[in-house]
Amino acid sequence: MTVTTITAVAPRRFQMTGPTVPRLVAGLVILALWEGVVRGFAPDFVATPTGIVLAFPRVIVSAPFLAALAQTLGAVAEGLAIAIVFGTTIGLAMGRSVLADRVLHHYVNAFYAMPMLVVLPLFSLWFGYTGAARLATVVFSAIFSIVVSVGDGAHSVPHDYLEVAHSFRAGRICTLFEIVLPASLPYFLAGLRIAAGRALIGAVVAEFFTAIGGLGYFILFNSRTFHDNTAFVAVVFLAAFGIGFDLLTSWATRRFLPWYRRDEAAE
Amino acid sequence: MRRETLKRHAPFVLSLIVGAAAWEIVGRHTSVAFMAPLSDTLARLWQLTRSGELPRQALSSAALFVTGLALAIVVGMPLGLLMARLKWLREALDVYVMVLYATPMVALIPFILSLMGFGFAPKVLVVFLFAVFPILYNTIEGARSIKPELIEVARSYRSREWALWREVMVPYTLPYTMTGIRQAIGRALVGMIAAEFFLSATGLGQLIMTATQSFDTAAVFAAILVIVAAGVGLMRLGRMLEARFAQWRT
Repeated sequence: MTVTTITAVAPRRFQMTGPTVPRLVAGLVILALWEGVVRGFAPDFVATPTGIVLAFPRVIVSAPFLAALAQTLGAVAEGLAIAIVFGTTIGLAMGRSVLADRVLHHYVNAFYAMPMLVVLPLFSLWFGYTGAARLATVVFSAIFSIVVSVGDGAHSVPHDYLEVAHSFRAGRICTLFEIVLPASLPYFLAGLRIAAGRALIGAVVAEFFTAIGGLGYFILFNSRTFHDNTAFVAVVFLAAFGIGFDLLTSWATRRFLPWYRRDEAAE
Repeated sequence: MRRETLKRHAPFVLSLIVGAAAWEIVGRHTSVAFMAPLSDTLARLWQLTRSGELPRQALSSAALFVTGLALAIVVGMPLGLLMARLKWLREALDVYVMVLYATPMVALIPFILSLMGFGFAPKVLVVFLFAVFPILYNTIEGARSIKPELIEVARSYRSREWALWREVMVPYTLPYTMTGIRQAIGRALVGMIAAEFFLSATGLGQLIMTATQSFDTAAVFAAILVIVAAGVGLMRLGRMLEARFAQWRT
């Protein structure tokens, strides 16, 4: 009866170590192709690697870019914090209580399966074209993957642990904090990884939609005024955050939860 | 036995009733421009279906979704297998696949708009970009985990390259690809809505946009209901596909 949609993964990634020469060559080939195709066939304003590199130092110190960066990251951090608090609470309840699971399961599943974008028009209606609409979008985008993964984690706590706790007469609260919560951590991290990606997307689309300041609006504005190279710097940053968070969670799983084995949890 | 089923299903049914009631009550006590009660939403849903507008828009969205997803599968799967088979290609490209997998693709939409304009093709490209990387990534992962012994045995029986692909690589990798396709289905749905919102408005996205602009919240909720139903249905389908092909995955 669990909501197994997020596989119980300690994020596994391609090894970053390995031969660097083929990678560098491939990277250069890709960039050269991009540059060549754009120069050959596309209008002047289209972003090229050299254009982006040249724009980079100018853009990253410019005030509008820094303001946009701070706004988007601030909203994502705030939204993620809210989503973590409520998501973990709901997830734990669903994982440990059959009743809560039966009551909430279908709602959570439906919300999780729904592309969060569709609520944007509604949110902009409810919250106005303000930062609140963006925050709501971020929370809404992020929370359900945390609920689902924490629920899965809390549900699949090894039975032996619970029995041991029980025979030592551990109370419910104690069991929750000392056993269920730590055992769910790898699932939580896996959920958080997905949630962070979705939160970033949520913030960007909310900015596209409501035209409130931030990296999304920065991209929109600059590409509409034919400053594609400038706009692309923001895309590079967004990609870097996505990847950075991925690496961070997988590092954290290995560093702090070395006892967690993917194959054991796979039953 | 009947008591047992009652106990199992009662909380679920009750929660549905409570949810529906809450929706209805909140809807009746707020402005129509903000929130439509469930009854109005269902009435509007029926009306939109009768008038043929909803089916037409849903069909247009479905065409976009299916085209983009199909392209992603047709490109992602062979490319993934090829990258798994050719070590140099994999070593050269795996970092870039990972980078693109983690990049929020929505950020590219303004560029696609300025390059390709408003037609059907740019929207398909958006859906494709959302969907292709999970397929590619999982296929590579799967093909990488093929035991070398399997390939060695095939080789020692003088298997041709083509037979090796057909008999070993594809069957072994298929369950992994299916995991990728399940993830891709969800992402393609997001891509579809994003394309309909931010490129030219068509399909269910257009229905939501125009309804919002005319404060027809009942229609907005009706369209959202349809999309949620589609999302849940597709997710089920994805999981069924995955389970169907996961049988020989150990």
